[in-house]
Amino acid sequence: MNHSFKAGDKGKIVDLSHVSQLVQRRLLDLGITEGSEVCVKCVMPFGGPIMIESCGQCIGIRRKEAIQMEVVKI
Amino acid sequence: MEIALIGNPNTGKTSLFNNLTGSYEYVGNWSGVTVEKKVGVFKNTQGHLIDLPGVYTLNPLSKDEGVVTSFFLTESVDRLLNILDASQLERNLHLTLQLLEFEKPVLIGLNMVDVAKKRGIQINSAKLSAFLGVPVVPVVARNGKGCDKLVDVISTKSMKPVKKNLVYYGKEVEAAIAAISAVIEGKTEHSQRFLAVQYLEGNEYVKNYLHQIADAMKLSSILSNLESELQNRYDCKSLANFIYLKRKETIEKIAAAVAVKTDTVIPLTEKIDSIVTNKYLGIPIFLLLMYLMFMLTFDWLGTPLSDMLDAFLTGPITNLFESALTAIHASAFIHALIIEGLVAGVGGVLVFVPQIFILFFFISLLEDSGYMARVALVMDRIMESVGLNGKAFIPMIIGFGCNVPGIMAARTIETPKERLLTILLTPLMSCSARLPVYALFVGGFFAGHRALVVLSLYVLGIVVALTLAKVFSSTILKAETSLFVIELPPYRLPQFQSLWRSTWDKGKGFIRKAGTFIFAGSVFIWLLSYAGPNGLNVDMDHSFLAAIGGVIAPILAPIGFGTWQAAASLITGFLAKESIISTMNIIYFVPKDSNLQGLLANYYTPLAAYSFMVFILLYIPCLATTATIYKETGSKKWTAFAIGYALVIAYVLAFLIYQGGKLFGLV
Repeated sequence: MNHSFKAGDKGKIVDLSHVSQLVQRRLLDLGITEGSEVCVKCVMPFGGPIMIESCGQCIGIRRKEAIQMEVVKI
Repeated sequence: MEIALIGNPNTGKTSLFNNLTGSYEYVGNWSGVTVEKKVGVFKNTQGHLIDLPGVYTLNPLSKDEGVVTSFFLTESVDRLLNILDASQLERNLHLTLQLLEFEKPVLIGLNMVDVAKKRGIQINSAKLSAFLGVPVVPVVARNGKGCDKLVDVISTKSMKPVKKNLVYYGKEVEAAIAAISAVIEGKTEHSQRFLAVQYLEGNEYVKNYLHQIADAMKLSSILSNLESELQNRYDCKSLANFIYLKRKETIEKIAAAVAVKTDTVIPLTEKIDSIVTNKYLGIPIFLLLMYLMFMLTFDWLGTPLSDMLDAFLTGPITNLFESALTAIHASAFIHALIIEGLVAGVGGVLVFVPQIFILFFFISLLEDSGYMARVALVMDRIMESVGLNGKAFIPMIIGFGCNVPGIMAARTIETPKERLLTILLTPLMSCSARLPVYALFVGGFFAGHRALVVLSLYVLGIVVALTLAKVFSSTILKAETSLFVIELPPYRLPQFQSLWRSTWDKGKGFIRKAGTFIFAGSVFIWLLSYAGPNGLNVDMDHSFLAAIGGVIAPILAPIGFGTWQAAASLITGFLAKESIISTMNIIYFVPKDSNLQGLLANYYTPLAAYSFMVFILLYIPCLATTATIYKETGSKKWTAFAIGYALVIAYVLAFLIYQGGKLFGLV
């Protein structure tokens, strides 16, 4: 994802390999992996975490990890 | 018959457990870890239901997830009740497929069919049942719909394990599974396929188990051969990922056949979320909610109720005891023991039951409604800046009720260093047992600003915790990796029944403590105050208690309360914080026509009272908390550290407040 997140941004994850192992594993548990569609729901201020939605569930992740997800716009 | 209840987190496991079981048979801990183990009896008394922690997979990442895996490996269970969230079917089925590989009878409770319907998802449970080869019963755990049928199916159907390998992992993996099965053949009673797949997936618990029972070298070489083979042939990321994707293929096939999706409406959750996790409003809304919680607990509702209970206990109840004692011609000793020791000590603590229940009610409300996860999200930025993550805030909020479950809740934090830090700092959260002390002192000294003064103590606890987190995380507990991924479950309107049940679960400990610990402590303290070096029934200033307190008192003089009474009550405060109150009630035995609050004005100035409250807030984790810290960290060193740093920080802060306040001319 690029550095400026906006609520409502949508995309499809194409590469997660730059995200840390632990985070990758947890995302996988939640069913989020390459090929999943994600949508930014809201963004916390001061560089705080972001809330994304994927397959009907909401999860919170840190911005620095979200940046490392490679996502293409759809 | 032993039935284990298993499912993903936030799928309504607790509601289902409450609906299926009438009462707890037993609440204890899993061996080795302090994760709560709840066992209930089915309403039709046809067996026991064991509640397992929520997990996404049987390959654990954190300590409480490990509980489930070791349960499967070490304990015997007859049947598995797998609860699925119908609105998240695909994710939930990953666990189900692993459970089916375990080859024990499985029954599926398909929960939240109503939520799924609202989202435009309809699931054909008969088809799902046919696919998986096990019975599927749709339920709505929140209101108990379908639960009767579930119990019926559990106790009547035979649910023979259907030997059918649902997932085909590809010929290389299947060959490895066969090879592992051959190695462990006859050495275990568990399903070989289950063990083999988990082993290949990198499940540490299964690895340890298999390496104990079978040739570790052989197993490792099968694993590494398979890994390199897959790497060469398919260029896959990892074996675990390969297995995951194979399962996913199967799940997609199942989901396509059983679920019908139609257009969805925006769920209410998202509308609420756009407000409570709003960029600017998130933190103010949280603070406002906390403020309302404290006002209700201390001002609007809790205090009037406590006053009523106090009047009842000191009036009719004490009179009842008096007349009963007179009627049986009790000796002066017994009379004094019961009235001055027990009624004063235990009664003085019981008075705070209403306030504590109100506080626990709100904590349950935050937990049940789904707001707690949002709080973690909102607070993550602040927590990250001090070397923790947002999830650490949840143990801290629970710690407001009682530090013991708070410390236990820290096990959901995945990284060991962050978890340890959270365990060490949670005792700084002002638990409900400290509340009676504040309530007593603010009533006596700060009557006009009760809630505000108490809130300031709670905030002080948080500020000290965050400051120390920063200090510790940048010195003795440097963590390299941090993990923060949190599921935000949809909002749920809490059911009154389950709210009451969890409030009662939390609050009954307080009442039980009053009946046991405080009861015994009161007798002991009263005896120490009744007896002295010169015999029985001495003047209290010449009692053993005064002698013990007198040794410590000079150390406390610089922080404003160098009396033997304060010192003695602090010692008993280590046993349980509320004993401070029962001790004070005994020491300053209150004549009928006045109250303790009035009497305290003779011993404390307002500044000293505030300093005392700050000291109580921080000075030491109580005995139960200390034991929990020891169990959770497994380290004497860290337990001693938790006590030591608390004493130092409490003394320093109380000193600054008292001496600083005096400099500014406060008294």
